[in-house]
Amino acid sequence: MRFVWIAALKDLRILRREPFSVATWVGIPLCIGMLIQLIFGGGGAHPQGVLLVADQDRTIASRFLTNAFGSEELGRMIKVETVDAKTGRERIDRGDGSALLVIPSGLQDAFLKNQPCRLELFKNAGQQILPNIIEQSLRVMVDGAFYLQRVASNELRSLNATGSGTDAEVARNAVEMRHLSRDLSGYFSPPLIAVETIAEQEPGNRLTVGDRFFPNLIFLSLLLMANGLSTEIWKERLFGTLRRVAVSPAPVAAFLAGRVLMVALAYSMVAVVSLVVAKYLASVAVPNMLIAAAWAAVSGTVFYLLLLPMAVTSPGQRFADVRGNLLVFPLAMLGGCFFPFDVLPDWMVRIGRWTPNGMAVIQFQNLLRGTADWRHGAAVLAALLLLGMLAFWLSVRRLKGEFLR
Amino acid sequence: MIEVDQLRKSFGDLTAVDGVSFTARKGEIFGLLGPNGAGKTTTIGCISGLLTPTAGHVRVMGHDAVSDGPAARECLGVAPQEVALYEDISAIENLSFWGGTQRMRNPRLKQRIQEVLEITGLQDRAREPVKRFSGGMKRRLNLACAIIHTPQGLLLDEPTVGVDPQSRVRLLELVRSQAQSGACVLYTTHYMEEAETLCDRLAIMDHGRIIAAGTLAELRSMLAERDLLRLSGVFPQPAARAAIEHADGIEIVQADEALLILSVVEASRHLPAIFAALANAGADVRGTTLTQPSLESLFIKLTGKELRE
Repeated sequence: MRFVWIAALKDLRILRREPFSVATWVGIPLCIGMLIQLIFGGGGAHPQGVLLVADQDRTIASRFLTNAFGSEELGRMIKVETVDAKTGRERIDRGDGSALLVIPSGLQDAFLKNQPCRLELFKNAGQQILPNIIEQSLRVMVDGAFYLQRVASNELRSLNATGSGTDAEVARNAVEMRHLSRDLSGYFSPPLIAVETIAEQEPGNRLTVGDRFFPNLIFLSLLLMANGLSTEIWKERLFGTLRRVAVSPAPVAAFLAGRVLMVALAYSMVAVVSLVVAKYLASVAVPNMLIAAAWAAVSGTVFYLLLLPMAVTSPGQRFADVRGNLLVFPLAMLGGCFFPFDVLPDWMVRIGRWTPNGMAVIQFQNLLRGTADWRHGAAVLAALLLLGMLAFWLSVRRLKGEFLR
Repeated sequence: MIEVDQLRKSFGDLTAVDGVSFTARKGEIFGLLGPNGAGKTTTIGCISGLLTPTAGHVRVMGHDAVSDGPAARECLGVAPQEVALYEDISAIENLSFWGGTQRMRNPRLKQRIQEVLEITGLQDRAREPVKRFSGGMKRRLNLACAIIHTPQGLLLDEPTVGVDPQSRVRLLELVRSQAQSGACVLYTTHYMEEAETLCDRLAIMDHGRIIAAGTLAELRSMLAERDLLRLSGVFPQPAARAAIEHADGIEIVQADEALLILSVVEASRHLPAIFAALANAGADVRGTTLTQPSLESLFIKLTGKELRE
């Protein structure tokens, strides 16, 4: 056991002198993740435009119209700014704003008297989507006003005529409006048809881009790192240090175990850094930071062990590199490390979920999404550890024999 | 004591070592001399436990190298032919690791690291990464790692290859001091001068066999004061060989169309007769070299080739 630590310490000292490789291991997935975040946005953000409103009417109706743009979903996309008509035109002409709505004086009167009135909307030609959304929303509002006029023309007219009428007139209008509302409610909410809408909650729908991509990108990094680290055993052979260990009283198995310990420590470091960055810079949900980091470290170490027999059975380091890449890239693709399983075709998912990295990344995603099944996770962990131990045994056999010659 | 008894090691059809036997005693430097491919490194590999002998036995300080491998390896320090160091870490870190592989612990390990750094003259550069070292410094550190645990047996496989003269002198002094302190040193080389100045006893290997063994004086006596005469030119065969093979005091070491090597008693006296006989056989001698009796001439006499071939 002491020699395991001695060997690990030596490897850590070597690693300490190569900070660039550690930075690369951590940096690659994070850079890719950040790029995806930048390209696709954070998942919860909406495009935001500015609607300039020149309200020349300044009545309840015009404010109602203006406020309609600032409410609910529309309000998240469109910020309303009140301007005068001249300033509004100038700003739209220089591309500052998505659209300018000019509400003319007399809008409320015209609406109540059922007379025509002209709203003007100037769109920013430099923008494609938001001005059209504003235009369509305005059309819907105008249509709504039209239908209100059709069904309640008498009430609206009387409301306009009474102006500052007597208490009796106001009360009569109020009663008429209430009756109207009751009559219309039969159309808006038919009492005979009860519709119960049950929206099935789909966790994926609430995920940000970071939530979707970071787990697989971290595992892509772990796989690539495993490939690089596994072929480093060739350095030991080429520099003659492995032979030298073999002629010392220290067992080769302990030497390799020390290397595995160093790999596990390196993976732990990479996992913690990746998860911290993912959580605090990319807003990825990481509910169980320590468990997730431990899972990533164990998975990475197993990947290393699985690739090690391939490296030590290769006739040369270059061959080992090529062979490792030929295996790692299809595995990464199948096992949901390039792209998440959510976006892969079914046939690929069916195969990929049985690959070692596929099994590991699914559990990792479940950990991050808070949907981990601990019993299943334990079974996957046992399977991975078993595979890892088998690979370790094969590697030691090879290191003691043919690999030394 | 390192005892090798009828050692044989084959790799498939190739027999690299074939029935080698010798004993290297405590406090002596035993040289294994031979050209590249003679089987020296394979012999060292079998002694160090890196290779399993096909037949024969190796005992290191009384421990069988195969059945009692770990105990045998604990008694040995090995400096491989190629420098085997971690170049990214410092000399101290290398020594600490290799000492650890020999079950050394602090504070003894720390103390010994300082000692070997001083012996090898590396104390000033001890904390630098080894990759910044010169070839000679790396060789010295390579040897330092082999002696860090003060082994009873030391296997040095061509430790001075590619080393500058200054480092070579230092290395040879280091090897001598190890023997003087009681270690049994097995030293392989193809540098004849090194073997002559350093080794107490020698075995000359070729094609996996020991073709001569003994002290330097014993080996020289095998030459019987014969000179080695090397003639280059054109030598029609078999006429050239036939012209001289029955002459008194002359032994043919090698004879082909372009080169003739003869072992001759009092060569200066026989030279006119040799030239005359060769001329009669149609030979054209273009170059002549006469070598006084030495280990090299013995080697050439025994193997028919030069050591550095």
